[in-house]
Amino acid sequence: MPKNGNVERRTILKAAGASAAALGLAATTGCGGDSGAGDGNVTLRYAWWGGEPRTIAIKKSIALFEKKYPKIKIKPEFTDYEAYWEKFQTQASGGNPPDVFQNAVGFLRKYDKRGVLMDLKAQADAGNLDLENFRNGVLANGQVDGKQIGIPVGANTMALVIDVKAFERAGVEAKFGWTWDEYFAALQKIQDKLKIAGDTGYFAIMYLYDLYLRQNGKAFFTDTDLGFTEDDLTQWWTDGYKRVKSGLVADPKKIEQAKPKSGLSAGLAASEFTWDNFSIRYEGEGESDYGLAPIPTTDGKDTGQYLGSLMMSAFSGTKHPKEVAQFISFMVHDPEVGKIMGYDRGILSTTEQFDAFKPTDPNNKGVAAYEDEVAKAGVLGKITPHPSGADVIEAAFLRIGGEVAQGKTKPADAAKALFSEAKAAFAG
Amino acid sequence: MTLVKEAPAPPAKKRSAAPAAGRRGRRRENLAGYLFMSPWIAGFLLLTAGPMIASLYYAFTSYNLFTPPKWVGLDNFTTMFQDPRWQKSVEVTLKYVVVATPLKLLLALGVAMLLAQKRRGQALYRAAFYMPSLIGASVSVGFVWRALFSDDAVVDRTQKIFGLDVGGWIGNPDYVLYALVALSIWQFGAPMVIFLAGLKQVPQELYEAAEMDGAGPFRRFWNITLPMISPVLFFNVLLESIHAFQVFGSAYVVSDSRCGPADATLVYTCYLYQKGFKESQMGFASAMAWTLVIAVALVTAVLFWSQKKWVHYEEAAK
Repeated sequence: MPKNGNVERRTILKAAGASAAALGLAATTGCGGDSGAGDGNVTLRYAWWGGEPRTIAIKKSIALFEKKYPKIKIKPEFTDYEAYWEKFQTQASGGNPPDVFQNAVGFLRKYDKRGVLMDLKAQADAGNLDLENFRNGVLANGQVDGKQIGIPVGANTMALVIDVKAFERAGVEAKFGWTWDEYFAALQKIQDKLKIAGDTGYFAIMYLYDLYLRQNGKAFFTDTDLGFTEDDLTQWWTDGYKRVKSGLVADPKKIEQAKPKSGLSAGLAASEFTWDNFSIRYEGEGESDYGLAPIPTTDGKDTGQYLGSLMMSAFSGTKHPKEVAQFISFMVHDPEVGKIMGYDRGILSTTEQFDAFKPTDPNNKGVAAYEDEVAKAGVLGKITPHPSGADVIEAAFLRIGGEVAQGKTKPADAAKALFSEAKAAFAG
Repeated sequence: MTLVKEAPAPPAKKRSAAPAAGRRGRRRENLAGYLFMSPWIAGFLLLTAGPMIASLYYAFTSYNLFTPPKWVGLDNFTTMFQDPRWQKSVEVTLKYVVVATPLKLLLALGVAMLLAQKRRGQALYRAAFYMPSLIGASVSVGFVWRALFSDDAVVDRTQKIFGLDVGGWIGNPDYVLYALVALSIWQFGAPMVIFLAGLKQVPQELYEAAEMDGAGPFRRFWNITLPMISPVLFFNVLLESIHAFQVFGSAYVVSDSRCGPADATLVYTCYLYQKGFKESQMGFASAMAWTLVIAVALVTAVLFWSQKKWVHYEEAAK
């Protein structure tokens, strides 16, 4: 500043200019959306979660789409799963979610209730979206109260991934229709012979407990509530904790520290329940051979399994519903896209894509064979869209189950805590 | 931060000699000043003051970000005080503050005393000890910490040599918080620098006189150093405890975004974050935030009140 107290006009102007520029900058970043220019070109934002292979594949698919529809540009946004939903929630609440985004059954009702999801039926009726040729009725996964708010891109089911070598060395066989008793007997054999735990921590996985409940005529969720009692859960967690204590289930302290590796590929246990399309990760992470094994049953027959799936959903407030529908239709039906994506998001959901992609590597082949077998066994049940708040409950189930495993919470108190948190989550 | 008060600055020269022109000039100068500040002022109003007022309002509402906030009065606060996870988060945070802050300051003071002596390469040592505070807040250090304290990692193996088989701190609910404490202590650079400045101000004559009277090193530390640097100590205690109350990044990264296992590192801000951004209970999260503000203000007030008893301000030069 000049010392004589005379500020030059230019100084003031400069300062004013800088302020204006700063404010102007804030203003432009504030609104951000530039979709739809005057020349007929349209830009859509498309968001998904997943690892690098998925991102590469999706980007390739987008390039194909842009070639076929030169007037539509796709702007990709991607993160990992955790960050994805935090970001999405913030964007959606600000009225600025992506036009098209990856979705899953646990979030359908939640965002439908909040008015974020577009009913794609109208676009299908207008001929912009093809709802034909979906396999095994998976299209129903994206329906809530008669609306089509998600279009499945793939189908997957819960499975048991096993360390094949460990199972062989222990001399146990995983076979269709085996019971829970047989499963735990197998774990005992593994522990006796190989001195490692059998399972990585089955009882904190919400989707597995769902299968167990289904085997017993219940389900984790009804349309609006939990489908089991506190006593049911207390029993489930009491048994689980007993098995941690006896060493049948791996030490949770070790599992925790192996992350981001899974307990199975870190060699801490011989089997792990997860979604079948996740099984591909183990080969890359671990040193053994991994295979898919059937879910244990209660009655020797019913596994309680169903086909879940990842979906594509659209923002109800998008400025370009037609283009959004065209893009989704292309992504789920185009055979080339099927070839590029493979089974990364589950077995391809439409016949066009399923027929176009023939897996050649053992991992993808294994997933395909597994789902084939499950479908043939005729055990597949129907999935119901989870009530709003299901995502919060899934996280709570994992956390509280972990406290039980660590011996920090008694099963009865843990079950009580879950019910109380579920109540809050449903109300939210 | 002044500790031995310097002579008061000479009063600013009055410009009343040329009244009218001077006043106009000053007004112009002020105007320019405000203009230069305006981006900051706008930013403050838009990004700090605005959200704060909004969150104060949300604290009394049920707000899930999508449907308009619904006034619920004190409901958020009553649910909060009864919520076992909230109680747990308070417990974890207090434990962290009470353990990490004194240890960090102790180390900072110790190292500062070593570095206050004249030695060769002193600047290098100072830089080296300060370095961790510069990078300490980064996410990558959190990952490094996780790797260091995991099962069968450096710390675990070292412990085993001494016959302590814990099996890694990260997965163990009884130990994992101390991994965070260690991370905090490791970043003692900032308070150390402030201690150093304080130590430099202690008049050497006092030591010389004390030595002549036969006071040993401990005596000199207790009766000279400590009282003389007590304002600096006060400042550091204040700053570091406020800091510790707000710990978030390290807890979030070291324990894999869930602040566990078994909620063992569920520090206050981590629970606040989970409530707000994972469970979409913004009203509840806002209530938590304001409760923290009030709690920190109370702690600060208590510290200020207590300083009469132990902080020694040298009167301005007679």
